[in-house]
This record gives sequence, structure tokens and C-alpha cells, in this order.
Amino acid sequence: MSVRRVISGFIYALSGAIGVLAFIYPFFTPASSAAPLGLAHGQDAPLMTAALVGLSVVALLLELQGQTISAKTVAMLGVLVAITSVLRFIEVAVPMPGGFSPIFAPIILAGYVFGSRFGFLMGVFTLVTSALITGGVGPWLPYQMFTAGWAGLTAGWLSRIMHHVSRFTFNAPVAAYQAPGSQRRLTLDIVFLCLFGFAWGLLYGVIINVYFWPFAMGPSAQTWMPGVGLSETLSRYGVFYVATSLAWDVTRAVGNVALILLLGAPTLRALNRFRRRFYFEVSASA
Amino acid sequence: MLDARVWVLWALTTLLTASSARNPLYAAVLLAVATVVGTVCAADRAQRVPLSPLRFAALAIPLSALFNGLTAHIGDTVILRLPDWLPLLGGPVTLEALAFGAINGLTLTVIFSGFAVFNQVTPVRDLIKLTPRAFHEAGVVLSIALTFIPQTTRSLKRIREAQAVRGHRVRGVRDWLPIFVPLLVSGLERSMALAEAMVARGYGAVADQEQPLCRQGLLALGLSALFGGWLAWLFLPSWRGIGLGAMIAGAGLIAVVVWLAGRGISHTTYRRRRWTARDTLVVLGCGLTLGVTLVPLPLVNRSTLYYSTYPSLTRPAFDPFVGLAMLGLLVPAAVNAEGQADSTRSIQSEAIGGADERLGQETEDG
Repeated sequence: MSVRRVISGFIYALSGAIGVLAFIYPFFTPASSAAPLGLAHGQDAPLMTAALVGLSVVALLLELQGQTISAKTVAMLGVLVAITSVLRFIEVAVPMPGGFSPIFAPIILAGYVFGSRFGFLMGVFTLVTSALITGGVGPWLPYQMFTAGWAGLTAGWLSRIMHHVSRFTFNAPVAAYQAPGSQRRLTLDIVFLCLFGFAWGLLYGVIINVYFWPFAMGPSAQTWMPGVGLSETLSRYGVFYVATSLAWDVTRAVGNVALILLLGAPTLRALNRFRRRFYFEVSASA
Repeated sequence: MLDARVWVLWALTTLLTASSARNPLYAAVLLAVATVVGTVCAADRAQRVPLSPLRFAALAIPLSALFNGLTAHIGDTVILRLPDWLPLLGGPVTLEALAFGAINGLTLTVIFSGFAVFNQVTPVRDLIKLTPRAFHEAGVVLSIALTFIPQTTRSLKRIREAQAVRGHRVRGVRDWLPIFVPLLVSGLERSMALAEAMVARGYGAVADQEQPLCRQGLLALGLSALFGGWLAWLFLPSWRGIGLGAMIAGAGLIAVVVWLAGRGISHTTYRRRRWTARDTLVVLGCGLTLGVTLVPLPLVNRSTLYYSTYPSLTRPAFDPFVGLAMLGLLVPAAVNAEGQADSTRSIQSEAIGGADERLGQETEDG
């Protein structure tokens, strides 16, 4: 393994760790770092967290750009982001039930077919572009970018896992679902993608809520208090999440499943076909 | 027209001030300021926000008050009592809890209004221009996406019309399949053509260069310092100073990598925008607001920024110096009104000059 790949992996891991810590640190904060009551949620923490999340997104983008990005990847990414952003525009123009949003299914499907790196970039750029066209730029945007990027990134990981699983189970090819026996592989992919989409529908809400929960004020049984311990903090967050967001997020999760069930198979076929067209290589004959 | 960077500063100042001031009187001042700036500066702009601030306020304030009133059973003035067997909701509903929730909703409305103004007054092309040179590829992807959005919308309309001619009607999610798949395939075909055009114009020659190993190493070092410093800041109180130093060093290293990565990329602008005295005035106005809100100063009673409705409702305090400092955020409206008067005068003089010229030519011709 080359030095470059080791450093690259290290950068991915550190950016991910900063992002994860930005979202979960309220669960582990000791009592000694508490600010005076009432201002505990207030002063330096939100600014510092936002700055750190922003810096880790910057570092990750620099690393992703530092690797070779072909013109085909750039063009395809731009066009897929445009299509997904138009879906978001429709969502804004025609209000959908609860937290349902049509942007997550395309991000997950693109990450699944084109890999983690493409999925991360697709998530990040879709949120930026759609925020620009719908007037959604605000302090929430870096967190939304990071979380949508993670959804695309992990979809790429799921694809790798499925590749190994299918090799061991029924030896079906990854290609464009055209070879004999690949229909079973497609069905298996759709089933796992539905579960994955459902999980991310809920996770997106869980993660996005955590970023502002420590700074929100409200009933003592639901608000963050440094030093109360992990289990108590988790329990308070659980109550807060169930009271404020669960119903909203379930709509998003069910919407993701519905979209993947209805549009997943033809979209996967189309994306796989284009993946083979985009990334074909001519090898020199012996 | 103000520089996009100035608007970024204005929006951030509004965000910081609204987050710091939990007092309904200051929140009302900030909301009035954002409304005036929005009315003056974004009067002739197309609506680019999903929800108007007024509608947001009509939703956020009552919902926040209701939620807090039903779930926070604190406060002296009990309005009604819900049965104890109701999970989360059981207990007294107090006036103080309702007021506290309403103030939270008001703060959210101020932040939303500030960014609604920002989204309306800054053209998308100006925001893309703010992308640092180091993020050249990111800027290209964003530009392609924004350029393709109108085309995609037109394609969507064409495909819907073509399917409608064949008798297809959209009644549910299932009916979107014959529309979405052709949209996706035609979009990918266009991206193929675009990629070939980009390669033909030499795009790959620049993009195929990998970043040097030392730059990658600096990035890893910067992130390590950032992560280590933050861990020390959060969990080791005696190491807070060292942690802060490490975070600053890490941020500095990442900034150096951004600078190094952008150094080799040339950035051309067709028409460079000049920094004007108006931009400086707005920056000074934001500085005044931030200075009074965040820095302890003599004569300024910063404790009035925080207000709690518990245990019983009292009248919030108001320091005129803090209120006046918040008016620093009004400067964009003042300079914009002045700018509009200037431009009207110049248009009038140009029109008069043009008419004189035409009259002169006609006289000569005649």
C-alpha cells in the first residue's frame, strides 16, 4: 500500500472523526466544562463546532479533489446534482407530507453504483446546489451537507458489502443486471437499499437534531445538561427526539423506501449501464 | 449593489447577535431591522426563498409556544392542568412556559429572516465567485449543476407533455416512473456529451494532476492538530489553552493547504467588482453590532441580552446602547437607498444627455 493511500485513509478517518465528534460530543461532556446555567447552551460551543465541521468538510473536499477527477466524473456529477436539485425544487414548490424529501433516494442510488467518493460528493453538492436555488443557505447547511454526504458515502460501502455477499451466495455479476441470474441480485440489492434508505431516513433526523439539541432550551427532561452521564443524556435525547421529530422522520424513511421500491430497479439499471460506458478502458493487446 | 462578502458578513452578524440575545425586545429590534433591509434591498429581486419570513413567524412562534407550554411544566402562573397519566404532556401548563417557547420561536424567526434577506439579495453567480481557487473542481461541478437546472426543468416539462400525449396521467408516485427514467437517461447522455467537450478543450490536462505528497501530509497534520486540540478542549480542562493553540495551528495549516492548492489555478474575471465606500460602511456597521453584543464594554449592560421567563413572568430589561448598536445592521438599507437615489440621478442625467445629443444630431442633419 503506497504512502499516499495511507495518508489519504488517515485524512478520511480524521475528517469523519471530527464530524462524528461534532454531533456526539454533548453525550460525553464532563460537568466541569459547563457554562453557567441558562447560558450552558450558548456561547463558544456552537461557533466552535460549526467552524470545526466547516474545516473538516474543507479538508475532505481538498483530499477528494486532490485525487484525479476526470472530466466524465465532473460532468456526470454536475448533471446528477442538477436532476436531484430539481426534485428538491419540486418538494419546495409542492409541499410533501412530513419530512419526506425526494433527494435522498438518488443520492443513495448514485453512491451505491458509483462508489463512496462519488456518493459523498453527490450528497454534499446536491445540498449546496438545492440550497442555492431554493434560498436555503443558512447556518444549518454545513451539517446538512455533511450528513447527506455520509448517506452517499455509506451507500458506497453497502455496495462493497453486497458485492462480497452476492459472490458467496449466488455468484451473480455486478454488471448491468443483464446477465443470467442477475435478476435475483437486483432484487437483493433493492431489498437492502430499502432497508438502508429507511435507516438513513431516520438517521438524518437523529444526526441533524443532535447539532442543535445542546443549544435548544426547553423542559429539563429533554434538554442537554453537561455532566449528567451518557445514559441520562441518551435518555433525555430519546425523549426529545420522540417528542419532536420521530413522526416527521418516519415519513422521510417511508418515503425513501417507496421511492427506492418504485424507481430503484430502473434507476440502478440505467446508472450501471452509464457507469460501464463512462469508465470503459481500452487495454493494449499483448 | 453591495459585495457578496459584505452580505455574508451581515448574515453572520445577524445570526450571532440573534443567538446571543435571548431577550424578546432585542429580538423584535433585530426582526424590524431585517424586515427593513429586506424591503429596501430586495424589493426588486425575484422571490428565492421557500417561505416568507412572515409565514415562518406565523408557524414558528405559535408552534414553539405550544410545544414548550405542553412539555415544560415550570412556572408560577398555571393556566390549566393536564392529567398526569398523559406521557410528556401531563402536568401544569404555565404562562411562563408558553412565553419561553414564543421567545424561542421569535429568535428562530430572526435567524430565518436574516438568511432570507441574504438569499434574496445575493445573486447565485456572486456566491459561486466566492468559491476559493483551491476548490476549482467543486466550482465547476456547481456551475454545471446550476447551468443544467433550467435545461433539466425544460426536459421534465417536455417528457411530461410527451407522456401526456400518449395518455399518461400523473396520479401517484408510481406514475412518475415513465417520467423520471427518461429524464435520468437524457441527463446522463448530455453529461457524456459535455464531458467529451470538456476533454476536447483540455480540461483533463489540469484535472489529472494529483496533489503533492507534502501538501497531503500538511493536510493530515492540520486535521490531527484540530482533532487533538478539540479533544483536549472538551475533556481535559487543565489543557484547554494548549487545546485551543493546537486547534488554531490546525486551522492555520488547513488554510495554508487551501492557499497552496489554489496558487497554481488562474482565476479570470470578465468584469471585476470594485470595493466601494458603501461596502466599508456596512462592515463598520456590522463591527459595531458585534462589538457591543460580544465584547464587554463600559456603559453597556450586556446582562440585558439574556432574559428568562421563569419562575414568573417579568418585564424584560432594555439597554438603549445595545438597542442602538443593533441598528448597525440597518446600514445596508441606508446605503442602498442612497445608491438608488444616485443611480436614478445618473439615469436621468444620461437620458437628458442622450436626448440633447439626439436633438443636436437631428439639428445638424436638418
